[in-house]
Amino acid sequence: MLDVLLAGVGGQGTVLAAKVLAQAAQDKGWQVRTAETIGMAQRGGNVTSHVRMGNGGEEVFAPLLAHGTADLVIAFEPGEAARVLSFLAPNGVLVTATTPIQPVTAALSSVPYRADRVVQRLEAQLAGKEASFVAVDDAALVRTVGSRKVLNTLLLARALAAGHVPLDVDDLRHAIEVCVKPAFVQLNLAAIEAAVAS
Amino acid sequence: MTKKLLMGNEAFAHAALEAGVRVVAGYPGTPSSELIETIAAEHAAGRAQGVHVEWSTNEKAALELLAGAAYCGARVLFTCKQVGLNVASDALMSLNYVGVKGGTVLFVADDPGPISSQTEQDTRRFAAFAKVPVLDPATPEQGFAMMKAAFDLSERYHTPVIVRPTTRIDHASTFFDVADETEARPVPEEGFERDPRWVIFPKRAYEAHGEIHERLRAMAHDFSADPTFAQFNPQFEGGVLTAKGQPADKVPAAAAAPIPAQAPTPVQDSAGLPRPRLGIMTGGVSAAYAREALRMVEERAEAEGFVVPPYRFMQVGTPYPFPEEAVERFVEGLDQVLVLEELDHVLEDALLAFAGKTHAPFDVRGKLTSDARDRGENDVDDCFARISRFLGLSCAGVPHAAYEATEDAPLPVRPPVLCAGCPHRGSFYAVKRVLAGRPAVLCGDIGCYTLGNAKPLDAVDTCLCMGAGITMAQGFAVAEPQKKHVAFVGDSTFFASGLTGIVNAVYNDHDITLIVLDNATTAMTGSQPHPGTGVTLMGTKKPPVSIERVLRAVGFSLVMHANPLDIEGSVATVQEAIEHEGPSAVLFKSPCIQLKRPDFPVQVDASRCTGCKKCITEIGCPGIGFDMDARGPKSGSRGQAFVDASLCNGCRLCVQVCPFGAISASAEVACGDGTATDARAVVPAPAPEDVPAPADAPAAATAPADAPAAADGSRSEGGSHA
Repeated sequence: MLDVLLAGVGGQGTVLAAKVLAQAAQDKGWQVRTAETIGMAQRGGNVTSHVRMGNGGEEVFAPLLAHGTADLVIAFEPGEAARVLSFLAPNGVLVTATTPIQPVTAALSSVPYRADRVVQRLEAQLAGKEASFVAVDDAALVRTVGSRKVLNTLLLARALAAGHVPLDVDDLRHAIEVCVKPAFVQLNLAAIEAAVAS
Repeated sequence: MTKKLLMGNEAFAHAALEAGVRVVAGYPGTPSSELIETIAAEHAAGRAQGVHVEWSTNEKAALELLAGAAYCGARVLFTCKQVGLNVASDALMSLNYVGVKGGTVLFVADDPGPISSQTEQDTRRFAAFAKVPVLDPATPEQGFAMMKAAFDLSERYHTPVIVRPTTRIDHASTFFDVADETEARPVPEEGFERDPRWVIFPKRAYEAHGEIHERLRAMAHDFSADPTFAQFNPQFEGGVLTAKGQPADKVPAAAAAPIPAQAPTPVQDSAGLPRPRLGIMTGGVSAAYAREALRMVEERAEAEGFVVPPYRFMQVGTPYPFPEEAVERFVEGLDQVLVLEELDHVLEDALLAFAGKTHAPFDVRGKLTSDARDRGENDVDDCFARISRFLGLSCAGVPHAAYEATEDAPLPVRPPVLCAGCPHRGSFYAVKRVLAGRPAVLCGDIGCYTLGNAKPLDAVDTCLCMGAGITMAQGFAVAEPQKKHVAFVGDSTFFASGLTGIVNAVYNDHDITLIVLDNATTAMTGSQPHPGTGVTLMGTKKPPVSIERVLRAVGFSLVMHANPLDIEGSVATVQEAIEHEGPSAVLFKSPCIQLKRPDFPVQVDASRCTGCKKCITEIGCPGIGFDMDARGPKSGSRGQAFVDASLCNGCRLCVQVCPFGAISASAEVACGDGTATDARAVVPAPAPEDVPAPADAPAAATAPADAPAAADGSRSEGGSHA
């Protein structure tokens, strides 16, 4: 079983990322289930997409992951990486964007949200463990590509390029061509190149 | 056939189309809305021939419309979320007594958690109350099969049939083979045939009640014996050895290990094979969680050298009427049954009743015995812990997180909030400004604008159910006449359940001020059209039903307009309406940001920002943050506000709120030198007339042509008597 958890803030594009992964799994002939957060939480709340793939030919029963079982966690925002850390398998890979999204609650609060400290803490926590940690300078990649709309593709490409899961960047390219509207395919393929080159 | 990745709700739409559904109607509500949107999209693409699909004014209107079509013999499908069935219940209760001719399926989506709902009510309970059968899928694939079977069941017994998936089925995706084109089953030639049975009268109701009991008994039998339906109540056995005699060479090596003391000793059947004494009964998505958990339990037991005792598993996919014959086979020889289900203890109650009726010796464990969660969602972790305990495998423990976030880097909470640039923000702000310090009650309602309750707006004191704000304000006005009473209602909710309330306000002379938040769509559920947009799912565009003309027609003597993006104008208008004696209304018209092209983001002038935080503490826009480390000549070491250009859509409310003129539009700069780096400059935004759905929303209503172009930078004319 290959279990992937995508975590972010409503509107960041985790749903499309889950679709792309599902397509990649389908192309491999694996059974796949995804589950999304849709509804009120999409209005700036924290959201997750679960992607479960039977890469060993096994049947996938539940649409949601259990804690401690995610082979790959892709976080679109550093605070959200920390929030879902308990889902990471002992030998899982955590890939996170480093650009924070400040909620209104943080701006109103006397306790500031220091995303840089969250990233440092995650790195320290996973250092020397079986798990791997990849912090992505998404702001730089977005500047290179010229659009924040492809954050999902940038992160997927970085995660798969790291080589810890049985899906690779070519699988991602093929899935993008199927899932993304034709007008945006080139932009997304460019995002993959930028992420791989970084 | 084409293989497609489909969300449960999308798949159910395809199932209904393949079953020949002719008329589809409902009212949006998470987690149900995507079904009708999918039917509409298939119809618009020309792939679904002969189907009529609509968002009705509300659920009651939808079900009554469908009843008429079903009396003619058309196959019909109703959709709503769980609380929507409350609205349609008046029709449903009688419809079951009258009966139907064409297959009548009610797709009602339940929401354990609740994730996006007011209650955790259980539609399986409602089905039993209304005495109609209900099917409860464990996976999207099973729901697909149930949707088709439900039409056949309905026509076999002339009964409405409920299919009730939950959020994790509705919003879970997997690949489906679906027909490329579908054709609605035509209405039978004879059509509607006049007959006394279509008119509900006490004498007829008495007869019908008996017929209902007869068909419920027959359906309970079908659910156990007819393969079309019995497949929804699957059973299997697991553990070391099953009664079916699993070959010894398939027994895992762990079987040789000693059985832990707390595990029950297997009993042997006549062939000398162990038979299960433990049973696990499941409903809905809990069946999928439980199977996943059982796999984990078995893997863990094998790794740790323990034996999993024999057990029997059953999913009840037809909870009402309870499939007693299938359950009788399931409980054969069992001492204990653990019931895992979400929301109410429906299966548990039915099993207890069955046990009492049959003087059965088994114990039933579940919500009533604190052996299962009494509310909220189940999950694999919880099922693992409870099942391993139930099987006596305390060795298996609970699946545990390998890593946990630490407390020393605190994470921000992210309650849902009004979007950056949402026009509702300015409306709430204007009302709060007018009422500052005055005793008042602000009655909210159901929609995005329920989020007006969040700080700092803090502008919603009550929220009960669809349309209740208008009528509750009237009750407050009677009980506390010394206060001001304001009701907020959205445009879609106004038509769905606000109309009776406004007539009551006029008729009984209640002094309330109605604030209509008209964003030209049903935003919270993903931008569906409604009567005030004039757009229909059949692709026609009518003149919108005018909220203003409705209010004037029923007798609101003061009806004013305001632009929520113009603070001073809005404050003046609301002031006048609130001072008015008797029912008054202010119509705030400004389209949802999902429907319009964003304006260029504003920017903070570091030389002017004093770090006073007023832009944050007054309106709480998610597009504005505070950087404690920013320094400027006016802010000293206090820090400064900053605008997140990826979120700001240039509504300029903050520009008006800043007392120091530190926030301004950046459009001219960005356009002028051609160095715009904003995402919107790279990916051209569509024109407002042709707005695609945002990535996460399946369909968008187009904004009506007469929606104000609020983003054009022009300031409103302010409040005016229209």
